[in-house]
Amino acid sequence: MPGARDPLRSHSFEAIGTAWSIESADTLEVPLLEEIHRLIDRFDLTWSRFRDDSLISRIATTPGDYALPEEATPLFEFYRALYDLSHGRVTPLVGRSLEALGYDKHYSLIATPGPLPPIPAWDDAVSFYDGVLTAPKPVLVDVGACGKGLLVDLVMEHLLESGHTRVLVDASGDLRRSDTTGSIERVGLENPANPALALGVAEINTGALAASGTNKRRWASHLHHVLDGVTGLPSTGVMASWVVARDAMTADGVATALLLAPPEPFAEAFDIEWVTLSDSGVVRHSPGFPGEVFS
Amino acid sequence: MTTARRPIVMSSLGLLSLAPVIAGCASADTSSAEDALDQSVPASEEAQAPAPSAEPTLAASYQDGSYQAAGGYQSPNGSETIQLSLTLENGVITAIEVTPGAAGGTSERYQGQFAGGIAAETIGKSLDELNVSRVAGSSLTSGGFKKALESIKADARG
Repeated sequence: MPGARDPLRSHSFEAIGTAWSIESADTLEVPLLEEIHRLIDRFDLTWSRFRDDSLISRIATTPGDYALPEEATPLFEFYRALYDLSHGRVTPLVGRSLEALGYDKHYSLIATPGPLPPIPAWDDAVSFYDGVLTAPKPVLVDVGACGKGLLVDLVMEHLLESGHTRVLVDASGDLRRSDTTGSIERVGLENPANPALALGVAEINTGALAASGTNKRRWASHLHHVLDGVTGLPSTGVMASWVVARDAMTADGVATALLLAPPEPFAEAFDIEWVTLSDSGVVRHSPGFPGEVFS
Repeated sequence: MTTARRPIVMSSLGLLSLAPVIAGCASADTSSAEDALDQSVPASEEAQAPAPSAEPTLAASYQDGSYQAAGGYQSPNGSETIQLSLTLENGVITAIEVTPGAAGGTSERYQGQFAGGIAAETIGKSLDELNVSRVAGSSLTSGGFKKALESIKADARG
């Protein structure tokens, strides 16, 4: 892959709150990059619960039927699979609870005193059919578990459709790579408790890697942004997870799920490989993880 | 491991992010993030234990002392800030503390960062020994962290 010295073949920017980079063996033309930025803006305007003008924010205040963009269908299907496989621990319906705990639009980081709002059961809160989301009552949907991964996929698909064949999209923690040669990208699995160390190395030719963890967005000793849909509280037990999959949405969603539930059902349902680090420092991984895992 | 002596907070953002930023101070490209550093105040604070040689070192032109800075970055909810405090001794970073949120936020927010972080701190191999092209795990705070650090460097340059 080309290095940062060739500006036409690597493009770095900030979007949806994180650092992105796109690298390609072919020139990244300005009009194409503009299309990608528009794609990201449109995605944010639909799915961000942090923007008052997003579609998600409208659903949070006004019940009704909402026609969603095309990507909503794979997103909701996948989210529902995660919800079922985790027995409700992974759910997009934790938005109000996140707000109550302080992870709100204004980033107050102050938990509201008193009991947390109950997390609604999926079928009570929303239904999704043929591209239309129906919310009988206002509902705050949070696609945090796999939204960024999905966006990485959309960006990658746009690059592939535009003729790029050897290309990498890295959105800090979620990356996807496509390659037509045998070359391998070696990605260190950063130890969240000591970033000078790697717990392993993932080797990717074509596919996706997502990292998830509870440490980066933590604002008090027991408060972070991954909520358990059953208890309504931040997850405990697993500090970090990494998942390799064919696409970034799957990798991202399962990586989040592994913070909340055991890996086996997900490994059975999806074509994935995984690594987890427990709060007590125990590293586990699937037997077929591509690369090396140290422990 | 010497890391256990440092504030736990440090390990969250740690050496990996620091080293390149400090080393590459001449070319300051912290890119697109909008609003810049709002303040940069040298403060005096108690000194930490001398750091082992593995610590990243700053060029000799940085003055010892404690520094604080705030950095801004774009997140899903718009502009956010983080606070960063850093202590330099003999050109070596001996303490770092990162606090998310508004200026004046308390560091307790980031205390207890890792329930069992100490246990995990020694697991793995040094990234220097591994032939990797990138790392998976960092997220979100990197932009603000770097901006805050740039401000500290400008402040410490004497």
